[in-house]
Amino acid sequence: MLRFRRAACIFTAYMKILRAITQAILLAAVAAGVAFAFNAVQPNGIDPFRRPAEVPVLDRSGGEPRDSTAAPHEGIAYISLEEFREILDAGDPVLDARTAREYEEGHIPGAILCDYYEMGTYFPKVLPLLAPKMRIGIYCTGPLCDDSEMLARELFTIGYTNLCVFSGGIEEWTDAGLSLETGQGEER
Amino acid sequence: MTTGRGSLADLLFERGGPGRGERLWPPLSNRWFILACRLLLAAVFIYAAVQKIGRPLLFADEIEMYRILGHGPVLYMLAIILPWIELFCGISLLTGVLMRGSALVLAVVNVIFIVVVAYRSAAIMNAEAIPLHRVFFDCGCGFGPTYAWRKLIEDSVFFFCALMVLAAPVYRLVPGWRKG
Repeated sequence: MLRFRRAACIFTAYMKILRAITQAILLAAVAAGVAFAFNAVQPNGIDPFRRPAEVPVLDRSGGEPRDSTAAPHEGIAYISLEEFREILDAGDPVLDARTAREYEEGHIPGAILCDYYEMGTYFPKVLPLLAPKMRIGIYCTGPLCDDSEMLARELFTIGYTNLCVFSGGIEEWTDAGLSLETGQGEER
Repeated sequence: MTTGRGSLADLLFERGGPGRGERLWPPLSNRWFILACRLLLAAVFIYAAVQKIGRPLLFADEIEMYRILGHGPVLYMLAIILPWIELFCGISLLTGVLMRGSALVLAVVNVIFIVVVAYRSAAIMNAEAIPLHRVFFDCGCGFGPTYAWRKLIEDSVFFFCALMVLAAPVYRLVPGWRKG
């Protein structure tokens, strides 16, 4: 009798484990199905098979002298604060790769918001303002932030070739005593 | 403990109460304790999921910072699926549908979280020559930057709660309500 009860207990435990595993597989499969369906329809969905683009990179962030007669570098150029200010003064577009909240708290005057992590939302608004050969300045928070470089890589893959990343970002801008705009463009 | 008879309803829902002869650790038979574990897990994982759903690229970058998975299909699929698994598990714990399965998933997920947070903490400790209690980073969990030791304790508590729900014989949203 004792042996029978022990066998019944083992069977019960086995059934519990089996049921838990079945339920877990069912739950994970339903969640995966919904996740992929949602990813396919939402604007910021990603292609799981995307590969990082191979982009020629040039580092001029130290303020190296440039040959103004040479053809522009095709790819990503890391630039200094001085060169970044030249882009602003020339009226070329400048993209802020940070979040909308960070942008509203303070951004470089004239910068256009283009959150790297919500490209699907911002590209339809931003891309019509850009031409493929146009010099485009991009920045994010500072040297430790790579969102500006990642955004530049995405732009390169869709045909924009003259991309200037100001890696000093907002931190170097404010350290230099330069002003920021808040909200959608009020000077601070 | 009533075991399943093979129907879909039996798979989706659990019938309550320990079987004859089942000896339980006292907290396991305390339906209020189990309910508290369920609500805690549901609140935490639904909140965490909502923070990540809709921004898969950000979540992929956060996972990549652990330096375990490089950029590639596995990383991106994980970034797409994991928040939804967390959301479904949270809803399951609230509603009582597929309860045991979601508790099992969360137990496994939390073990993985503990291992990877410990791995990342060790890497930061080595790189910056600082002790564990000073390791501060964004774990990508949806709650912002935190101390590694605090995250390890939280994940251990969640793992314990998931095990409690997994092992408990009573599965109802409201204690006292009996299905069937």
